[in-house]
Amino acid sequence: MTANQTKLTSLARQSERSKQIKLAKQRDTSQLAVSLVAYVFIGAFALFCFIPFWLVYIGSFTAESQIVQGFRMLPTKFTLDAYRFLLQGSQVYQSGFVSVFITVVGTAGAVLITSMFAYVAAHPKVKYRYVLSFYIYFTMLFPPGLVGYYLLISNWLGLRDSLLALLLPLLFSAFNSFLMTSYFRTLPFELNEAATVDGAHELYIFFRIIWPVSMPVIATIALFYALSYWNDWFNALMFIDDPHNQPLQMMLRRIVSNSQNLDYLNTNVNIPVSATGVQLSAVVITIGPIIFLYPFLQRYFIKGITIGAVKG
Amino acid sequence: MRIWRELRKNKWLYAMSLPVVVYVFIFSYVPMSAHLLAFKQFSPGKGLWGSEWIGLDNLTFFFTGPDWLGVTVNTIYLNLLFIAAGTICSLCIALLLNEIRHAYFKKVSQSLVILPHFISIVIVNLMVINFFNGQDGMINRIFSQLGFEPVNWFQTPAVWPCLLTIIFVWKGAGWGSIIYLATLTGFSEEYFESARIDGAKRLQQIWYITLPLLRPTIIVLTLLGLGRIFYGDFGLIYGIIGDNSLLFNSTDVIDTYTYRSLRSTNMNSYSNAAAVALFQSVMGLITILFFNWVVRRVDNDSKLF
Repeated sequence: MTANQTKLTSLARQSERSKQIKLAKQRDTSQLAVSLVAYVFIGAFALFCFIPFWLVYIGSFTAESQIVQGFRMLPTKFTLDAYRFLLQGSQVYQSGFVSVFITVVGTAGAVLITSMFAYVAAHPKVKYRYVLSFYIYFTMLFPPGLVGYYLLISNWLGLRDSLLALLLPLLFSAFNSFLMTSYFRTLPFELNEAATVDGAHELYIFFRIIWPVSMPVIATIALFYALSYWNDWFNALMFIDDPHNQPLQMMLRRIVSNSQNLDYLNTNVNIPVSATGVQLSAVVITIGPIIFLYPFLQRYFIKGITIGAVKG
Repeated sequence: MRIWRELRKNKWLYAMSLPVVVYVFIFSYVPMSAHLLAFKQFSPGKGLWGSEWIGLDNLTFFFTGPDWLGVTVNTIYLNLLFIAAGTICSLCIALLLNEIRHAYFKKVSQSLVILPHFISIVIVNLMVINFFNGQDGMINRIFSQLGFEPVNWFQTPAVWPCLLTIIFVWKGAGWGSIIYLATLTGFSEEYFESARIDGAKRLQQIWYITLPLLRPTIIVLTLLGLGRIFYGDFGLIYGIIGDNSLLFNSTDVIDTYTYRSLRSTNMNSYSNAAAVALFQSVMGLITILFFNWVVRRVDNDSKLF
């Protein structure tokens, strides 16, 4: 498209906009009805999504005597006992450390290798880029199955009860790599060529030129990996028995499944708490970091996934 | 050789892809060899390669057993429910969010409907257990206040397909709507404008313009879902149902079945589980190839590959 054409289309779009605004002002009744349905339905669904979180949050601050009477929308007897109980044990710190550690280290490693691979798979100079993509794609068509996975981690690699059993399995996701590849394909190849003419090394081009212009997609993928590490419990369920190496999600699961057995938390304080209260406060602590990060990252990931998906 | 010349020429680029190539080889291709166990009598001492070949015995055992049909039907049935409910709800959310002009309302509600996607399934399970638990669960309280009989949820298999679908929609529909919404906002206004000039009402515009334009996206996403129809949602189902055999009737899926046979104390459990896993992988491959073939016939633009 020449510069002139772009200018023309942008002009056309502008006039379209002004027409649209005029039309929007004189909305007909059908528009009104649809809008009404939209507000009611979306509002209701948003509440439906939010209320369970609210109930858990309020429940975690509610005294034992009130909790057994069921969840409330508003706190009746405010107390921090459940948190005090949970935070005086040593397990929550140990598990918190494991979760943070695997999330930070895992995400860094995963983003690095995924972005390098996706870049190569999108690089026009690489003749076998489609072979590389198919090599990954085939694993999605024909997954190895649970037995092979189990044998690999626990018998062949001998990673039982090791933190590597939590780190390695999530280090690469085919879906994330395709999202990135389709983003890199939209970058102008001239960026790369110009740098090559100047004699820049491939690694230099990638880290110094490609990375900075790819921040939206890298942030998105980093968030996806971070979430899958933070939320992982399956690998812990399969391969980790030692309480020392259990992440927060697994701690939570243990509290739920042995709700009578709060000894697991290694706490030696005598606060009369209900198992439910401890569960709910553990949920709040486990959700914590995501809720704080979420509003900041939301704009990025919607943009990132949109670019990856629509152009892919 | 031509290959070597190409590898030499772009050696740094190929080197950059090497970590993933090696990783995928170890973590995806090597475990595929465990499918061989389906044809062997696994003994831990001899390992995968040393164990003896026993032909089709494991597969025969699985297919002549009482369980296979039940778990397969459950897996397919639950997945169909999930795909249908998930697609319809995601589509509705996207279409209706698109109608909302109030920017602040739109932003807040969109954040809220996506929120459950980011929460681990362990937390979802815990919420479900707390809400549906016995007599004093939240839902039963509401029921008794409204004058209904309380339901003993964890002993009633018939309600779980419906409950699991609701939980699935709660967790995923908002997230699923992003892709539809992204596609929607890319449509040219011209279509809608000319429809408006012809006197089309808003609902007619959605029905005759927006939905047909969204068709390829809907087909591709449904296909991706159908391709995984032999895979149960292990986290969701096992996390809530666990080993509660009262509910197996309606909720046991291939994944939970494999997991249990892997854990069982039976000597030959690995081989049995491998037979199930092989069945699952092969059927998965066949379904994805089949649906892709169907779509190529019907609507060539929407094919996956």
